[in-house]
Amino acid sequence: MIELIPLVIILAFLFETMDSCAGMGFGTGLTPLLFVLGYDPLQVVPILLISEAITGFTSGFFHQEFENVKFKFKKPINKETRVMLNIALLGIFAIILSVFLTYYSIKFEKNIIQTYVAILVIIMGFIAMLKLKSNSNSYKPKLLTFFSALAGFNKGIGAGGYGPVVMLGQLFSGIYEKTATAIVSVSEGFVSVAGVAAFVLLPVFLNQKIEIDFLLLPSVFTGGFIAALISPYIVRVLPNKLWKIVIPTYALAIGIYLIYKLYI
Amino acid sequence: MENGNFQNEIRIDEIGYIARLIDNELTIFERMKIKKSTIFRIFGALIIYSLTMLSFVLLL
Repeated sequence: MIELIPLVIILAFLFETMDSCAGMGFGTGLTPLLFVLGYDPLQVVPILLISEAITGFTSGFFHQEFENVKFKFKKPINKETRVMLNIALLGIFAIILSVFLTYYSIKFEKNIIQTYVAILVIIMGFIAMLKLKSNSNSYKPKLLTFFSALAGFNKGIGAGGYGPVVMLGQLFSGIYEKTATAIVSVSEGFVSVAGVAAFVLLPVFLNQKIEIDFLLLPSVFTGGFIAALISPYIVRVLPNKLWKIVIPTYALAIGIYLIYKLYI
Repeated sequence: MENGNFQNEIRIDEIGYIARLIDNELTIFERMKIKKSTIFRIFGALIIYSLTMLSFVLLL
């Protein structure tokens, strides 16, 4: 019999709402909270990946439905689709590397790399706030590739903060806030599918056994799925001016939270 | 914003063109309206949710 845990449903709903609206925070925010509630990594990490895989695509589908983005998968693909695929490919490479490093117990000094990501997110959030009044919207593909690679590198070495760096990187590269959110949602869907596959398949190749506990899946999936339906509508209805403020503010909050978690 | 001015500001092949257009051309109340086809798709998604939960009941 499956168990639905109300607190986990509410937390998953809140963090997925922010993730689908502001393009970040589901993994960064929810994972440590679930650890604090007493769940262990094998109960949390694969479950969040499975849930994010489904909710990422669901949210992306409804972002398209509410016209926050226009993906086109038939040739010739449009710019939105190309950007999404570029971000997704770099993310897929990064998450496979990250799972691989975890299994081989290759560990970097966690405090140092997490501090670096937290400071990076704070600086990017701060710059994004300074750029609030700027109306420049010319697309800078090289800058976007740089930030996608940087976010992928961070994820690859296990430092996290993938969403904030990719999201703010898109804004710096001239992508409209509402569209950037939609692009991140779908890319995270692809990256999470790769993450689930890596989590399940790598132990098979390495002749190791892994026991995934699915206890949290129905609750995380329920909260996340409802949020993935509602958030694209919220993004459509609220003016972009508001998202211009919300996204960097939320990124700053995540960066400060990461520092708090590490040192306080 | 006037349509003419807006069209001069962005190109049709620009990333986020439709989102920008909707943001600039429609009021918040107009943006709140949901197409019938979208409502059907939301129901479709809820059916998928129910089936997924059912599969959890059977598999977990």
